[in-house]
Amino acid sequence: MNVTSKTVGNITVIEAEGSIDSKTAGEFERGAMGPIQGQTAVILDISKVDFLSSAGLRVLLMIYRQIKSRNGKVVLLGASEEIQDIMANTGFLSFFILVDTLDEGIAALKP
Amino acid sequence: MENKTFPATLDSLDDLRDLVREKALLAHLDKKKTYNLMLALDEIATNIILYGYEQAGKEGVLDVITDLSDRQLTIVVEDDAAPFDPLQRDLPDEDDFSKPLEERPIGGMGIFLTINGVDEFRYEYTHNRNRNIFIMNVPATEA
Repeated sequence: MNVTSKTVGNITVIEAEGSIDSKTAGEFERGAMGPIQGQTAVILDISKVDFLSSAGLRVLLMIYRQIKSRNGKVVLLGASEEIQDIMANTGFLSFFILVDTLDEGIAALKP
Repeated sequence: MENKTFPATLDSLDDLRDLVREKALLAHLDKKKTYNLMLALDEIATNIILYGYEQAGKEGVLDVITDLSDRQLTIVVEDDAAPFDPLQRDLPDEDDFSKPLEERPIGGMGIFLTINGVDEFRYEYTHNRNRNIFIMNVPATEA
């Protein structure tokens, strides 16, 4: 898996790619937790993530808690139908703002 | 019936998913069922590798036996770690899932996803081996 980050205005965009399982979740965590330090507006682009296990959900939870502690917002971009399903089944889905495009994500985070 | 052996390391998770994907395709499972079966195997295999073997300081293998009939795809994962029945573990319930994420317990989520993702999940301990059994019903083929 691969994680990159960039900023668009005051928004931090984390882009993950590949499969997030117990082997790669640490990489996802390191790639995401650094750039989101101190941030309140985060877009997690997982449109190129084809698999996410509970180890990946755990990292999503960490990201959410980190941002939420500063009253920020986390947008999830491009989650596949399958990933949305498992997030719905575990009660995760309603905490994230779901969007299909970066523009929608940016709009959702406008103050 | 087909048997494949994987080293009990996290590196095997990728190969295990590939195997499940290949069998699911042969069984004509749809995208969602294929994903859920891959997830179920991934979660259980992860538990076996991390807790059954690594934490116990043991090395070993996972034997994966697949069997496709015209009604069911059955995948059995066998290991030599200490007996562990995932069904005996306390699982999160509706109450936990409706808690805000800040207060959410995270343990047991993998097993919850496993049990909910397959048509049938069974556990046996026979001949000193754990056997985790995953069953998916095969869609009826058009006549």
